[in-house]
Amino acid sequence: MKPLFTTLSPALTHPAMLVFMGWRNIWRNPVRSLLTVSALAGGLIIVILFSALLEGMSRQMVHYATNLTSGHIQLHRQAYIDDQDLYATLPWDYLTALEQRFPHLTFAPRLQAAGLASSKDSSTGVMLRAVDPKREGKVTVQLDKVAKGRSDLSDNRVLVGKSLAKKLALKPGSELILVTQAADGSIGNAIFIVSGILKPLEPGFDRAGILMSIDNFQQLMVLSEGFHELAVHLTQPEQLPQIQQQLIQAITDLQQQKPLDEWGGAAVVRSWQQLTPMVANMMQMSQSMLTVIGFIVVGLASMGLVNTLLMALHERRHELGILRAIGMKGRHLMLLMLIESFFLALLAALLGAGLGSLAGLWLESHGIDFSSRMPDGYDWGGLVFEPVMTAYLNLTQVAGLSLLMVTVALLSALIPSWQLIKLKPAEVLR
Amino acid sequence: MALLSLSNISKIYQQGELTVPALQEVNLTVEQGEFAALVGPSGSGKTTLLNIIGGLDTPSEGEVMLNGRDMTRLSESELSDFRLFELGFIFQAYNLVPVLSALENVELIMVLQGRPEKERRERAEHFLTLVGLADQMDRRPSGLSGGQQQRVAVARALAAGPRLVLADEPTANLDSENATALLDIMYTLSQDKELQTTFLFSTHDPRVMERARRIITLRDGRIVADEC
Ligand SMILES: Nc1ncnc2c1ncn2[C@@H]1O[C@H](COP(=O)(O)OP(=O)(O)OP(=O)(O)O)[C@@H](O)[C@H]1O
Ligand SMILES: [Mg+2]
Repeated sequence: MKPLFTTLSPALTHPAMLVFMGWRNIWRNPVRSLLTVSALAGGLIIVILFSALLEGMSRQMVHYATNLTSGHIQLHRQAYIDDQDLYATLPWDYLTALEQRFPHLTFAPRLQAAGLASSKDSSTGVMLRAVDPKREGKVTVQLDKVAKGRSDLSDNRVLVGKSLAKKLALKPGSELILVTQAADGSIGNAIFIVSGILKPLEPGFDRAGILMSIDNFQQLMVLSEGFHELAVHLTQPEQLPQIQQQLIQAITDLQQQKPLDEWGGAAVVRSWQQLTPMVANMMQMSQSMLTVIGFIVVGLASMGLVNTLLMALHERRHELGILRAIGMKGRHLMLLMLIESFFLALLAALLGAGLGSLAGLWLESHGIDFSSRMPDGYDWGGLVFEPVMTAYLNLTQVAGLSLLMVTVALLSALIPSWQLIKLKPAEVLR
Repeated sequence: MALLSLSNISKIYQQGELTVPALQEVNLTVEQGEFAALVGPSGSGKTTLLNIIGGLDTPSEGEVMLNGRDMTRLSESELSDFRLFELGFIFQAYNLVPVLSALENVELIMVLQGRPEKERRERAEHFLTLVGLADQMDRRPSGLSGGQQQRVAVARALAAGPRLVLADEPTANLDSENATALLDIMYTLSQDKELQTTFLFSTHDPRVMERARRIITLRDGRIVADEC
């Protein structure tokens, strides 16, 4: 059999020879090499699973942050953002135009106003939110989150927040009088029936919120020109940045075709990250946490590699001394040891990424079920999570973590390899 | 000009409080083509002297001129190259890289020297045949006897085309039959007019000494006899 390094081109022979020797060297003590590889691979698997669970949690968090009430993207007029100006509406034409232009997105228009609600016993200030039940159902789940009664906004029926219901002693079927200052300056005033009590989703809305249909709102407020808020739902949330850009473009076009009144300001397109920066920050923090934990776990696993290399260095010091004596340079020996480390790390990366991905996929389809111990789920970062932790395996993430592992392993291999530079043949050959 | 000339070489090892004079004012010249033995009792300084000549160790005092260059003034990297191109080494045992075959072991130095593939292949095969290992070229060291391994080391040293081959007790681990056979091979190669290789080897073995054309005797770090 022709030796490998002689079959490679002369220009390549030098490093190729070291690669050849390095590969054979790692099989000199297969058990030790495999143990080293296993330790590194085990570290990588732990990090991959941790990242998959974190990613699953993040996705759940995004899901809650977006699907409960806000949607992925929202449109408002600037004046509405600044001081909830009742008159700062976007025209209904815009909704029709956007729905035509983006058939794969779903849109939910909303209106909001302040008012005074009275029940038999007492009265209090309230926040009215009007939605289009058919469209809203395709963007958020807020209409489904009913604790008592039914979710029904037809005729003169409304849904009220749980704390507000308590304060006004309302039950499904109770009557409620709403008094407002309508858009035309008149006093709006009407009787509504409570069809259901909403579960707490947002603290503010729970204390003062009343959910009604847009038709009822328009009659009560005498405001039919447009809507205050447009929530947008994406079927593929990872496309958010592009879609946000497309929406900005579309809205700019629309404003040229159908100019808006001046006092309400321009239309503003914001993503959920811009709307709820706290949640977005928290997700970024969990990313940095993953990096730190990744470094620690992989760094610890690399200590096994360092140990293996130190042992190999000790066992082979006679041979290394001879190589040095016959004319090999210290840096060649160092490179040889780094090549061996690279092979070990590469094997570990393949093994770890493979097994880690399999385990991650299993967790993705099965999840970790805590429901026996925590039937109501758990509270984290101000949101209520379901008691099943689902993982999400991100292959880019797996590749990145494998690369991190190889890098950390090579960096730690520098510690023992460095000693080869200073190796004195006369001393080791004695 | 002599191939090798040592003038006033001293080597003092420091062992804690203790100073060990391993070599004291050694003067020696070796001409090209010589086949010389370095003999003397254990601890007399043979290894120390060979290491200093080979640039593996530095003298405490004195000058080593090898092929017109002062070894004591070369940098670490220059010494590496000097050893690679001008010197051959044969040690007592375990000379070879265990993960490489006999042929690959011989080629290894020539790869480092940057010789083209075809040339190094031919030279490796040529020298392995000269030392009688034509049929064992693809074996790894573990599949060769001690004597065969030492012969591979001789082939490796010579294939690189050195001026001077330094061998520190190359026969110490061999029985006398293998030892004399190895010496005969080395002697034959030293007589090759084209190679013009000089040999300097240390030994305890009287039978090996018989083969030498010159015997340099060391005692307590000094040359006490030098006879042809
Ligand atoms: N690194 C060292 N530190 C201290 N003393 C040393 C060192 N190397 C050699 N010596 C001493 O120098 C002297 C010469 O040693 P050297 O190894 O050159 O002898 P030698 O002739 O090769 O012996 P042997 O026949 O046993 O191989 C000895 O006294 C030895 O103890
Ligand atoms: Mg010795």
